[in-house]
Amino acid sequence: MLDLETRERAASPERDRIVEALIEIAAECGYADTTIELIVERAGLDRPAFDRHFRSKYDCFISAWQEMNESCLQEMVEAFNSQESWPDQLRAVACEIVDGLRNDPGRASFAVEVLAAGDAARARRDMTMRVIASLIDAGRNEMADPESVPHTTAEALAGSAYGQVYAKVVRGDAEELPGLVPQLMSAAVMPYLGIDAGLAELARGFDPPTRYRRAVAKKKPPSQDVGDPGASAEEYPPELARLPPGRHGLPREFVVHNQRERLIAGLAEAIAENGYSGTTIAHITRHAAVSRRTFYEHFSSKDECFVAAYDTVMEELRERVSAAFESAEDWPHAVKAGIGAMLEFLAAEPHLARLCMVEALVAGPVVVERYDAAIQSFVPYFQTGREGRPPEVLARLSPTTEEALVGGMVSLISRRIIAGKAEDLEELLPDLVEFTLTPYLGSAEAAKIAQEPEG
Amino acid sequence: MADRSPQATRLPPGRHPLPREFIAQHQRSRIIAALAEETVEKGYRAVTVADIVRRAGIARNTFYENFSSKEDCFLAASEYAVKEALRRVVDAASKVETWPSRVNAGLAAFLHYVSSEPALARTCIVEALSAGPAAVDRYERSIQAFVPLFRMGRKVSSKGEELPATLEETIVGGIFWILYQRIIMGQAEQIEELLPELVEFALTPYLGAEAAKRIAAEEAPSPTAG
Repeated sequence: MLDLETRERAASPERDRIVEALIEIAAECGYADTTIELIVERAGLDRPAFDRHFRSKYDCFISAWQEMNESCLQEMVEAFNSQESWPDQLRAVACEIVDGLRNDPGRASFAVEVLAAGDAARARRDMTMRVIASLIDAGRNEMADPESVPHTTAEALAGSAYGQVYAKVVRGDAEELPGLVPQLMSAAVMPYLGIDAGLAELARGFDPPTRYRRAVAKKKPPSQDVGDPGASAEEYPPELARLPPGRHGLPREFVVHNQRERLIAGLAEAIAENGYSGTTIAHITRHAAVSRRTFYEHFSSKDECFVAAYDTVMEELRERVSAAFESAEDWPHAVKAGIGAMLEFLAAEPHLARLCMVEALVAGPVVVERYDAAIQSFVPYFQTGREGRPPEVLARLSPTTEEALVGGMVSLISRRIIAGKAEDLEELLPDLVEFTLTPYLGSAEAAKIAQEPEG
Repeated sequence: MADRSPQATRLPPGRHPLPREFIAQHQRSRIIAALAEETVEKGYRAVTVADIVRRAGIARNTFYENFSSKEDCFLAASEYAVKEALRRVVDAASKVETWPSRVNAGLAAFLHYVSSEPALARTCIVEALSAGPAAVDRYERSIQAFVPLFRMGRKVSSKGEELPATLEETIVGGIFWILYQRIIMGQAEQIEELLPELVEFALTPYLGAEAAKRIAAEEAPSPTAG
């Protein structure tokens, strides 16, 4: 399957050259001194070529960074999946990251310099860090009592590993990174498998697991392509038929025949094609089949249009989750119904899923704030679960349990979407239900509810 | 004297019949506080010396008498915060006997300090990992400042000699990261609630998960204690 990024790259060697030049220049000069002139000169292109693909230096940095994070996430997940059992899975990920940084010092320097671009760059990095934390956190599955480790542990381990690796890269000491791997592995394994297992990891040294060969990684199941236009295009009113369709029809709100809705749909489509940063107002108006003037009658900028799209999608998502939650008989089943409704919506609308779960993180501080607020808005559903629980269960919960549950859930979902597997999201339902109910009901009862057939 | 936070030491306007040294020290903390507040509003990169000068209500010359540049001021802010945090941590830890209790008391004091100085904490923790090579040195020095306090745990651990050499950096860096995440999500006020989880995280490699969990729970203040 070609994911969006690959398609985009394949479609534009020119864009590729610009990004490669950007990475070189940024590594040499730093963010502040990188100029568009230097980039185009290095790429052997001219300014109009740059303008065809990017709006500004900032835009170019953020989109290159987005792509780098996405491909890094894919490689990490492949490395993880190349191993059978957990500490090896994590080691494969660590070795993958370290090898990547050693073999491509230009990219490593870029990863440092891009942070000067501000909050959007940082938010993108933190998203990747959440995925790494979830790979560490998989260690709890190896435990007799998976809930005995606080959820902050994996987050802390991932973050401090990042700090140590970052410092070495900034100092130009990337060659020392393999020595860090056994140290970090040891510390990461201890909370889950005990001190002795941690010491065994230390004794192993760098020791990249034998796979972790591409051949194994390639053994991915034949995936369903996101595209397949035409399958259900007839269900859409004419202006929305252009929106890449999912399995289900769009919610009613999307179908209102007005220009604002068309523009929002046009934005979603343009983003599906170009990514947030690569999307221009011209793309949006072309997809929406309206004039540029019409665009500016409704929105002052791409960002504003994105915020409107984001809000519309999230409102729809919240309504569906809330309706499903209310319809169930008791709290555990309400959680299951709510998560089910969320996965169903996101799976049915992979492009909207990408827009609100992935692109939102690169769309600037305003949207990142909304993203955080949206995540917080799901916390109360879980908090209700505390009502009527016996004191020993309440004692086990921390004040941040719900936040950690939502965060863990979102990172798992985002990971699938980033990997281009939004359509398979519903497969996650039993795992997510078990994961979120366990703190309240214990793992046996949570697993039972998770496995119950739906209906 | 009780509260040394930079915000609390703002002088009343007007003439100051105060010792020169006091005024000089005071000006530095006032400038640092201004840098922190501006950073929270705009992000470190966007802050200018002019912004800091305006916020601190001082002359531009006064800024340059104290600091050579914005970066210099940033590094001083970080140094100030670490020194102050370390003072509080050591102070709290010295009041109790055993090493695990000291970790608990020290961390409690640290979390309290961070949540009472969200602007300064954000400036030092959030920006440190994005502000370039000089900031990285500062970040590592901040971590190193706390490392010896944890390293003492090797004496009470049966595996003390064998533990990974960078274990303490991992613990301190991990705690910093968690605080960074909370600060960036606007949850600075809830930071103190993380105490038992972070104590458990810090003690586990030395004492094992079970003992760490038990101690973290025992040391946690009961909710009724206020």
